[in-house]
Amino acid sequence: MALHTAIVKTEEEKISSEKAKNFILSEENGAESIFVGRVRNENNGKKVTAVTYDVHDKAVIKSFQSICIDAKSKFDNNANIFLEHAKGYVSVGEISILIAVSSGHRDEAFKICRFILEEIKHKSPIWKKEHYTEGNEQWLPGHSLRPKEEIK
Amino acid sequence: MEVQLKLYGSSKILSDKEILNIKLPSNSNIETLRDVLSKIISKKYLKNSLQNLSRTAAFFSEEDEIVNDDYKLKNKELISIIPPIGGG
Repeated sequence: MALHTAIVKTEEEKISSEKAKNFILSEENGAESIFVGRVRNENNGKKVTAVTYDVHDKAVIKSFQSICIDAKSKFDNNANIFLEHAKGYVSVGEISILIAVSSGHRDEAFKICRFILEEIKHKSPIWKKEHYTEGNEQWLPGHSLRPKEEIK
Repeated sequence: MEVQLKLYGSSKILSDKEILNIKLPSNSNIETLRDVLSKIISKKYLKNSLQNLSRTAAFFSEEDEIVNDDYKLKNKELISIIPPIGGG
């Protein structure tokens, strides 16, 4: 069934939940699950104004496709999946990631949505730089992709 | 020899440009690149902000595949540094 993955350059366009809803719509799928991630105004006690997302475009699209195909084969091959992630400067309250899934049943729709989000955090080369009200900024720590056996 | 290191995430602190040219001894591999990178970080007084980067980063070849420490680098090769990730 249908699959859409994309990186959205924030200086050119915004992630649209309407586009996502239209994409996943199917008479065969009675359940829809939509996850919207937005930039929060606080992290670890610091007041956040925005986040800049850096993305390795080719590797991210490759990982998105692989994660979504994996999700379908695990939970529902007939699921429709829409996945977009922002690249660039995203202000507080704006969408950074949107995952929309339609499936035959609610359980699969929820599971696919959650699976995709967790996999992205561990497999897709995306980085966050937080901007704070004081005017400073910081790259956030994350999950190393270096082969585990090599880390001493 | 020299490699072109394409910077991503926190490694962008190393330069205002997208690509950092790094001189290496001939026949270097990724392990050598890690050592040289660690020295560059110390020289630029960036140990606090880039703590452990040379140890925790992965590296992508031009084919966007993760390469191991024994991967032999070619002169002028474009390598991407992949600091620990955290999207979503």
